[in-house]
Amino acid sequence: MRFTDARPDGRSVVYAHIQADPLGTRAGDLLAAATTTQRLLARAVMNGESLEPQTWQTMFPTLFGPSAPVPGDPVRDRSEAILAASLQVADRGEQTRSQFRGAIVEALTERLLAERTGPVHRERRILFDGRPAEIHPYDATVEADGAGEAWDCKWGARGIKADVLHQLDDARRGAADEGGRLLVGLVVFDARRSCEVRLVRERGPVPLEGLKLIALEGLDRLAGRKPA
Amino acid sequence: MPATVADLIDRALAGFDALAAKAEPIADEWQYMTDLDTVWRARLRAVAAARGDEPAPPGADDAIAVLVEEAARVTDGHRAIDWLSTLPQVALAALGEAA
Repeated sequence: MRFTDARPDGRSVVYAHIQADPLGTRAGDLLAAATTTQRLLARAVMNGESLEPQTWQTMFPTLFGPSAPVPGDPVRDRSEAILAASLQVADRGEQTRSQFRGAIVEALTERLLAERTGPVHRERRILFDGRPAEIHPYDATVEADGAGEAWDCKWGARGIKADVLHQLDDARRGAADEGGRLLVGLVVFDARRSCEVRLVRERGPVPLEGLKLIALEGLDRLAGRKPA
Repeated sequence: MPATVADLIDRALAGFDALAAKAEPIADEWQYMTDLDTVWRARLRAVAAARGDEPAPPGADDAIAVLVEEAARVTDGHRAIDWLSTLPQVALAALGEAA
């Protein structure tokens, strides 16, 4: 089993600009240390229509209401910063917004994985002897000897599709055939409840036992910590 | 008279129904929409059954109102499907419940 860089193509060149944008980097940093409700705020705002901060502050009373931490408190400041960054993403055109959201989930995943293990890479392919290489790279990989991991990242549960599950399972089986072990999974910035119903419908012949599902409420597990 | 948890869940479900109607033309996702409807409606109703008579937590009344307004702004069917997952999560957070 070998990890290699993905071959550059038109999509990757365009996407590389999105991944390198400081807004995505900042959002990834903020969300890595966020609570589940703060992450839900980011999801709602980046999915939303309204660009008025007051709307979202009213919608999340536990973050911004009278009983929330006061301005100046680190938790409150993080909520404000997440709201501001999310509104900036929402203010982009629909296509750019969609690309940003994907890049943010990848950046977040990279940061959380790096808290627990490493080395962590993005956009890498995995090659196995005697097997044709998959076309699409994995969003995040952990390339530790004997403890490799391959993760695909999705903004929403709708991104869970049969071909994604098949590719992850194929990599897991490829590693096993070589006598190795590869942990494979999906990181989805959406509620576990929504992910599970999607997963069951899309699984096809793929056994789910070998596939990790990390949903919005459980993102801290990637870092080896309990949900905040 | 202050709103109860059951009142707010009824309002959230009304917003959820309106979203489902907007998402309906996306025929390829009909099964997923049906599944979302089943699991999230059940989750919200379970909270209403357990806490329905309680007064709503501070700020929750306004939170659900702007949440339903925001959902009403959605016109695109694909975005409506995304909101079918988002709206219940936000409503539950406003009520102090986990998704």
